[in-house]
Amino acid sequence: MVMQHGPGRPVPVVFTGTRPELAGLLLRGYALLLPTIGLYRFWLLTWKRRFYWSNTEIAGDNLEYTGNAMQLLVGFLIAVAVFLPLYAMVFYLSTQSNQAAIAGYGIIGITLWFLAGYAIYRARDFRLSRTLWRGIRFDQTGNGWAYALRRFGWSLLLTATAGLAYPFMAASLWRYRYVHSWYGDLRFGFLGSWKQLALPFYLTYGAVLVVGGAGLGISVALGVSTDSLAEPRAYLPLVIAALLIGALALRYQARELSAMYSSVRLGGAVVTVTVSGRALIWQYVLCGLALIGAFAVLAIGGLVVLGVLASEAFAGGGFDLEVFFRQMQGSLITLAAIIFGYLLMLGAFTLMTELFIGLGFWRLIATGASIAGIESLNAVRARGEDKALAGEGLADALNVGAY
Amino acid sequence: MTIVGRYYDGQSATVHTVALHYLAEYDSGTLLIGDAADGSEIARWAASDLYLVPGRRDEMRLAASGQPAGARVVVRGADTIARIRATLPVLGTKQRRETTRQRRLAVTATLALVAVIATYLYGVPLLASRIVGLVPPAWELRLGATVASQLQSSLGGLQICDPDPGSLANRALTRFGQAAMAQSGSPFALDINIVRSDIPNAFALPGGQVFFLSALLDQAQSPDEFAGVLAHEIGHVAHRHGMEQLISSAGTGALIGFILGDMTGISVAAGLGSTIIDARFSRDAERQADAFAAQVAHRLEFDASGLVDLLNRVGEDDDFARALALLSTHPLTDDRKAALDRLGQDRPSGLEPPFTPAEWQAIKAMCGGALDQRGTPINVGATRTK
Repeated sequence: MVMQHGPGRPVPVVFTGTRPELAGLLLRGYALLLPTIGLYRFWLLTWKRRFYWSNTEIAGDNLEYTGNAMQLLVGFLIAVAVFLPLYAMVFYLSTQSNQAAIAGYGIIGITLWFLAGYAIYRARDFRLSRTLWRGIRFDQTGNGWAYALRRFGWSLLLTATAGLAYPFMAASLWRYRYVHSWYGDLRFGFLGSWKQLALPFYLTYGAVLVVGGAGLGISVALGVSTDSLAEPRAYLPLVIAALLIGALALRYQARELSAMYSSVRLGGAVVTVTVSGRALIWQYVLCGLALIGAFAVLAIGGLVVLGVLASEAFAGGGFDLEVFFRQMQGSLITLAAIIFGYLLMLGAFTLMTELFIGLGFWRLIATGASIAGIESLNAVRARGEDKALAGEGLADALNVGAY
Repeated sequence: MTIVGRYYDGQSATVHTVALHYLAEYDSGTLLIGDAADGSEIARWAASDLYLVPGRRDEMRLAASGQPAGARVVVRGADTIARIRATLPVLGTKQRRETTRQRRLAVTATLALVAVIATYLYGVPLLASRIVGLVPPAWELRLGATVASQLQSSLGGLQICDPDPGSLANRALTRFGQAAMAQSGSPFALDINIVRSDIPNAFALPGGQVFFLSALLDQAQSPDEFAGVLAHEIGHVAHRHGMEQLISSAGTGALIGFILGDMTGISVAAGLGSTIIDARFSRDAERQADAFAAQVAHRLEFDASGLVDLLNRVGEDDDFARALALLSTHPLTDDRKAALDRLGQDRPSGLEPPFTPAEWQAIKAMCGGALDQRGTPINVGATRTK
């Protein structure tokens, strides 16, 4: 029997992953990062992707991630080989005169920016070509260098126009990515254009200018300047303006994601994605609250541990730094305490951002999506294997591409 | 009771709802995949070919070798999964084998990385001194000039106390420098500068420039102390420590970046890690320079351990320094004093003093005497190499 759906009836995308499950997976992974000197990150990333993919269900069938840690490890080693010459160049430049060094750093920075485009594209290729749905693989064609060049050219234009060219850049890059994406032997289509982005973008742009200008103006009026510190109250308008700008940017991002994903076509299948700006902002608020909570717990825990290790320093209700350092006998303990404390803070930070922003983002897009005409995909056939990709290479080294 | 699942053939995107049957034979078996509606057979997979693919918690994904890459049988429900696992113990065996394989891979990779780090910790100080031998002296001279000009701008100009190379003090310093550098085979011409500054410090730059700041000179109470510190700095020049540390810290950055996978090297952990390793190299370099000073003291009549007395006067180690000794770029002064005393034990007697009393007076007077009383001396860790 072939699965039946009513003709044209939109099918919602379901996400079944839970926060506790992801938290368990991440904590186990972080714990294993220590004995493997960080190498477990390739396995952790693989587990994380399996979690996201396998919990995303479209019309009763889950996605499947078929990549493995070894591929990521090999890709990373290749990237190291690419980066060592660049690194050697940075070192050589650092020994040169100031002008030469600044010019050299500039060139290397631009090279990295260019390479980032290539890396993003290759990373997407890696993920798509290792994604199965109903036993059929996704894929990406097109040329990573062409994409990098396109992105680089647009970013020059973006700089020259103080950001005003953004809607054109976004639409162009979305289009390049999707018209080179495949599901089996069926090519994706993209109907989006800058016209969908222009109005929300320029409105946001204007609002950001107004809010930023107002915040700066009020703060300056209250006595904030670059060469002296003002009282804390005077910085409040700046902080409020920054938060408002962040919210505006997220609201725009939700608009862009909704408009662009909803412009994706796959044969007779039509994707509709609705992400509300409020829901996106709420993820960040939750993340902020969780971070505050996590750091508070860490701070209290740290004080308790220090109190046990060096109880005399806390004698008499105060804290005596000199006694404290005398009690930390030997620098190995001190060093271990510093490193362990740092790792705990870093772990808490990445855990919370992954749990609230990473998961929140994925879930918002997945649950906000529905696909009409999905029965038209029944006729899709598999394409040949694509084994040419070794890891995400540069992407892993440059730390690009979420998930 | 039959088990119902979903079947993808890996060739087309059509989903089949299937009924699964297990056909047991003598030593192996076959999984029969039949259409759930009419019972017609769709596929049969040999039990020995079956393996599990990672998936969602409440879901079992079966694949079989020899089938198209995307061919799957997907079954849901904890009870059903348990039944299949019980019927097909080979699945669990293969899954455990795969886990073992991954674990072995991770352990091997970790051991390889440990080997790289160990090689690095013990090999790079050696390697760095080899590489330094390959660096053209002209390059190092240029680098020294760059650093000096950066210092000029950051310290607000370095004013040389006595610019006349023919003065009694400068001639004595040049003579001391030549005596110290003799037998070192260094390609650099030593350039000793006594400069006016209220920071009690002395340092050597790549390319042979030594700076001795007037505040430290003013604190020196005997020629022993002054000659000790000066010989120590000349030791840095002779060993090309500035260049060596530049090379090894560049290497450390690459290593840490490799471990953390952050090639931009901006992460704090990278900074801390490379600080620990660099500090280790730096302490080794300080010990080498101390040993150099002790060697010079075998040719000229002065007590090299005076350098520790002078450094102690400028800034003594406190409990804080002791607690952070692993991060410090300098060995603890007590240890240095002990090492220098040991090195100075069998010093020959009857050597020529480094400076005559008149020369020592002239050196002390180079910067016009007590200028140090302005402002608090800043403990910048005594001697620096870059």
